[in-house]
Amino acid sequence: MLYVQHHAWSILLRLYHWCFALSIVALVTTGLYINAPWTNTMIEGSSSFPMATMRYIHFIAGFVFTGAILARLYLLFFGNKQERFWDFLPVTPKNIKNVFETLKLYSYISDKGDHRIGHNVLAGTIYGLTFLAAAAQLTSGFYMLYPESLAWQGWGLMLFGTQQEARFIHHLLMWYFILFAVAHLYLVIWNDVKTKEGLVSSIFNGTKYEPKKL
Amino acid sequence: MSRQFHNKEAATDVSRRGFIKGCTIAAAAMGLSESMVPKLVEAATSPTRPPVVWLHFQECTGCTETLLRASHPDVGSLILDTISLDYHETVMAAAGHQAEKSLHDTIEKYEGKFLLVVEGGIPTKDGGIYCQIAGKTAMAILAEVAPKAAAIIAIGTCATFGGIQAAQPNPTGAVGVKDLVQGTPIVNISGCPPNPVNFLGTVLHYLTFKRLPALDKLGRPRFAYGRKIHDHCERRAHFDEGRFAEVFGDEGHKQGYCLYKVGCKGPETYANCPSARFNDVGVWPVSVGHGCVGCTEPNFWDSMTPFYERLPGVNIPGSGEGIVTGAGSAGKKILGVTAAAVGIHAAVGIGKKVLKGNKSEDQE
Repeated sequence: MLYVQHHAWSILLRLYHWCFALSIVALVTTGLYINAPWTNTMIEGSSSFPMATMRYIHFIAGFVFTGAILARLYLLFFGNKQERFWDFLPVTPKNIKNVFETLKLYSYISDKGDHRIGHNVLAGTIYGLTFLAAAAQLTSGFYMLYPESLAWQGWGLMLFGTQQEARFIHHLLMWYFILFAVAHLYLVIWNDVKTKEGLVSSIFNGTKYEPKKL
Repeated sequence: MSRQFHNKEAATDVSRRGFIKGCTIAAAAMGLSESMVPKLVEAATSPTRPPVVWLHFQECTGCTETLLRASHPDVGSLILDTISLDYHETVMAAAGHQAEKSLHDTIEKYEGKFLLVVEGGIPTKDGGIYCQIAGKTAMAILAEVAPKAAAIIAIGTCATFGGIQAAQPNPTGAVGVKDLVQGTPIVNISGCPPNPVNFLGTVLHYLTFKRLPALDKLGRPRFAYGRKIHDHCERRAHFDEGRFAEVFGDEGHKQGYCLYKVGCKGPETYANCPSARFNDVGVWPVSVGHGCVGCTEPNFWDSMTPFYERLPGVNIPGSGEGIVTGAGSAGKKILGVTAAAVGIHAAVGIGKKVLKGNKSEDQE
């Protein structure tokens, strides 16, 4: 079979993806520690600062996460065809149809699917939700990081409530990101096996393949 | 108990030394320089100082108790003796019609000039019948008195945010003063009970500068509620070092390690307890081995409980029975279900392939 090569993902999108993915790994690892610190040193007169170190990494990763989200926000409007929100959010009849085609493909009802060069719309919809979850995560995060700022206090009280309530929402949303990561990894590997389009490698080299229509 | 009716000249049981000391404590709490102390003293002793009306609604009188029971009399005496306290149900000598007359005389005579202090939540359900004084509901009393006050100080978490009676399911529809009063400036001195120093500081600030102190987004004075307890805590070094009491009474607890893992809410709570401290003997909950319960925050009975665990027990709207404290364990279960779903999905895919045979496509 002949394949057509497509340039699917820009360098900025790939950079965004890896900054986002690696920052989530760091945020979840350190976040779980901050919630329930499992080291209990009982050693005095030393300076190892496990909690301070974990929080430091958490905050740095939080800024990387924020930078990644801002880059993705830019690409939603100014990226290439595959990267703009119009291409993968369920905002057109064609896109909504793609959600159901993809659901049928994933549930083994249909074998054809509705192939896209960019995201399928089911994935795109989940990415849209993830984007909103990320926005909530970084807003609640900054509210907790800068408790003395009246600006963050205003936003935080309006969106989440007290620090404790913001903290609880921040914690629950962490589990969303863990679940997302598991489902995302499984589905990209599954798609890579089912559809020979170079999906996994496309997030490294930006290139995807499509069977040539003869 | 009639000394609160004395004017300043007659209030001889407060020594000048104690009086100046009280003003100095308040100045320190507000972050004012020593040179401001004479101005505070002058304001607190001015013959034109405004009278104070103190209303009690749904409350336990703990906020008044914390002012009265100070082992060191300065702060309590300063509040009760140097301010013209015209109406205070707990400590006033008058009763019945006399008391009512005193209240009405004050609010008529000093309309737009007196300070109103409110202690306790205000029930609003069923026309507010769940708290009545002299046959009038708390809502009616507040609606009558509040518009005539120069400013309102809501003292305690009940008057500021509704407090314990506003906790779920809030059977009496209790709310704080700010939810009912518009048009009169309100300062929220939250806490269960709040530190008297914060109350005194706010009053002296008002008397001295003729305006209320700078407030945060919840209407609390920035000088007292501008920072989190965690950031001034004496056990903070243990937190950063990862040294924790795992359970009450363990070795870490005996060593005075951080109380984070036994549910201290200091990282989520704005208050000056670690620096102002209580009862004039320099203690506060964390210094005696008990975590902060977050009593200065709105909804703390709902969002800070269980008090001895990190995560709150807030009911998530729409989730049926609600996720109580077990966000972590719920997450693990969901993760298990997800893993099972992923496994079944993969098995079906493999099974289907085996059944249909491996019809590989032509490839060039």
